[in-house]
Amino acid sequence: MTITRKALHRRSFLRGMGALVGLPFLDAMVPAMAVGQARAARPPLRMAFAYVPNGIIMNQWNPGYEGTLGELPRILKAMEPHRGDVLMLGNLTHNSGRALLDGAGDHGRCSGSYLTGIQVKKTTVDIKAGISCDQIVARRLAGQTRFPSLEVGLEDARQAGDCDSGYSCAYTNNLAWKSETQPLPPILDPRALFERLFGNGVVLSPEARARQADYRRSILDFVGEDTRKLEATLGPTDRRKLDEYLSSIRDVEAQIERAEKTNAQIDPHMEKPYGIPADFAAHFKLMTDMITIAFQADLTRVVTFLMTREGTSRPYREIDISDGHHPCTHHQGKPDLIEKVTRINTYHATQMAGWVEKLKSIREGGRRLLDNMMLVYGAGLSDGNRHLHEDLPTLVIGNAGGAVRTGRRVVYRKETPMCNLHLAMMDRMGVHMEHFGDSTGQLSFADLT
Amino acid sequence: MQFQPARPPAGIVFDSDLGNGVDAALALALLYGLEGKGEARLVSISTSISNLKSAAFADALARFYAGPPPAAGAFGGFERSLPPIGMAGGGGLAGDTAVLKAVLEKTTAAGMPAYTHGIEKLNDTADPTALIRNAMTAQYDENCMVVLAGPAINLVGVMDLPGGLELIRRKVKLLALAAGSYPDGRADPRVKSGVAAAKRLLSEWPTPIVAVGSEVGDGLPFPGSSIAKDFAWAPAHPIVDAYCAFRSMPYDAPAPAMAAVLYAVRPDGYFKLSAPGRIGVLEDGRTRFTPAPGGPHRYLVIDPAQKDRVIQAYAELASARPVPRQNPRFRNNQKKNGAPPPPEPVKQ
Repeated sequence: MTITRKALHRRSFLRGMGALVGLPFLDAMVPAMAVGQARAARPPLRMAFAYVPNGIIMNQWNPGYEGTLGELPRILKAMEPHRGDVLMLGNLTHNSGRALLDGAGDHGRCSGSYLTGIQVKKTTVDIKAGISCDQIVARRLAGQTRFPSLEVGLEDARQAGDCDSGYSCAYTNNLAWKSETQPLPPILDPRALFERLFGNGVVLSPEARARQADYRRSILDFVGEDTRKLEATLGPTDRRKLDEYLSSIRDVEAQIERAEKTNAQIDPHMEKPYGIPADFAAHFKLMTDMITIAFQADLTRVVTFLMTREGTSRPYREIDISDGHHPCTHHQGKPDLIEKVTRINTYHATQMAGWVEKLKSIREGGRRLLDNMMLVYGAGLSDGNRHLHEDLPTLVIGNAGGAVRTGRRVVYRKETPMCNLHLAMMDRMGVHMEHFGDSTGQLSFADLT
Repeated sequence: MQFQPARPPAGIVFDSDLGNGVDAALALALLYGLEGKGEARLVSISTSISNLKSAAFADALARFYAGPPPAAGAFGGFERSLPPIGMAGGGGLAGDTAVLKAVLEKTTAAGMPAYTHGIEKLNDTADPTALIRNAMTAQYDENCMVVLAGPAINLVGVMDLPGGLELIRRKVKLLALAAGSYPDGRADPRVKSGVAAAKRLLSEWPTPIVAVGSEVGDGLPFPGSSIAKDFAWAPAHPIVDAYCAFRSMPYDAPAPAMAAVLYAVRPDGYFKLSAPGRIGVLEDGRTRFTPAPGGPHRYLVIDPAQKDRVIQAYAELASARPVPRQNPRFRNNQKKNGAPPPPEPVKQ
């Protein structure tokens, strides 16, 4: 570890020519006199929610046991190498996703209530939900990071219209709600996310982006001088970390350029925004790579990631499924449709496993980045065929700085509110509330540890 | 103009000390009979004693009254939904009773359980406060009746939830309380086993309460003769086994919980009501009714002219054959996704 008289500030940036690049957690950020003091410059805790729609084939998700995680069912097979970092929760329920006299529209309700814990208003006009738990935390952390939160998605950010039986698309297409009437739409375009994270906060217009693209210069070229100055002050460990970090940014840039070129060749008339990879896995990786960098550089500590939206009829031609996801989930017991949904569920979980691998590979403060996270992977429906809102598929990945003992499956009593988990996670993030949504109390970390 | 659907029959929240005696089991059977006639909907079942076997008994009854499972594939992927059973937690586990053992340990000639259930461990049961609260949220305003035939611990838990009192005030029309003696009398075990909870319930519950005392239970007992006669259609019936295990046959079982259910669903024509007032709870578990104009409490009074009708209703409804029902949530989805074929009729 490099001993310096004056520690590098945690909020340091590389600057130059309108570009601003955050830094990962470096040893140089620990004051020399604070060595051994656990509270000094401890890596921050992050909270993220990754959401998949339309439910899960639950008998291929739930293992038939509780306690220490061993062999995982088919859908989660790719997570097996990471089972030691996973806490699998059972029997969590979102009552506010149920009809409760509002009739059809389970997809609109379940995504609208997923992080708000509120029975959303059935409307396509005057939308009303509640402040989501991620935004409550974001509000508390405002000023500590460059972005209070990031909202990322991979599909369809329409905010108007009817997306499910009288429920506005605002409910199906957003997870984060800043106020009860203001959802925060996810960023879908990798270029827009990249520029938001690293482009001094300015999301460029397509024209400006095109001008910049003419130069085809890496953003790192703009901060080169600042980088060299910083490197001169760092020890070998930090120099390696910085190099790995900047390389990962360069990789993302290269991925975006490749995606843009590929898209232009595949179908110039497609409706997708400029720069979005046609391949789901490539899009997923690109966006999660940037989320990872944002966590690494402490640009934000709160992320919602809407993989695809509730009710989506997206086909998965990448895995030879040309039927829409949602129609398949209403399988009515037909084995061929169940098999297709299982493969889609497995495909999603496999992408997640890749992201987890990445989060495990990054070191900070003597631990892995994943160790300073609570990454929830789950859905607002369990059985998509019957639209069930109980026993929601829920993984908590990462041990929240040691607060959560992972590697286990814990099944709570039936009807235990999902909001009890939200309440416990907010508490870990420093937001102490008596109740949230329909919580009946915090999921006790005594249960989780 | 928006179409306003007709209100469904009242949703009944049933919370009891199931298995401690046979009264609560008979009341639940009566409720299933009323549900089969389309007069009520059983929206929440919970036990106020901390005993997995009590919850298992409730689950066994739910499965029995749901009728035989449909043929494989009959529902096109829509498996039959069975309601979760709430069970009071905390404290030590209550002891097993003869009633519970008789039902849950009974086997067929092949050595299989005579009555199947799905409760083996705590997380097979539901948190009763969340279960009851969630059931109330799904009812139209003032279209929910609560029947309590046991300690008040679960209902007090619902009152203590954030927004709990307001929810109860909005959704619940009446609490029918099968506990105590009125206007005064001996201490009731259902009150004695939870005096603090009973006091809170009777002082803070935000809707009218109609109490059914032991004097009504004793004066309108369930006729033991019905057990051999009216339930004979079933080769094995959990209510028959529970009844025969509770006391030596023949006997007529005091049935305050049955009266509470019957009043909650059919308030007119069977009973008289006291003047309004307020029920207090003494430290030894005795209850005292004090008349007060505009008071929130009343108690049920036997109408001698209706005694035979009441007992006849008990016997007919409690022994009714199961009528397979469909989960209301399930029905919503059927409308949207295409109705599956109707369940098979019960084999007789």
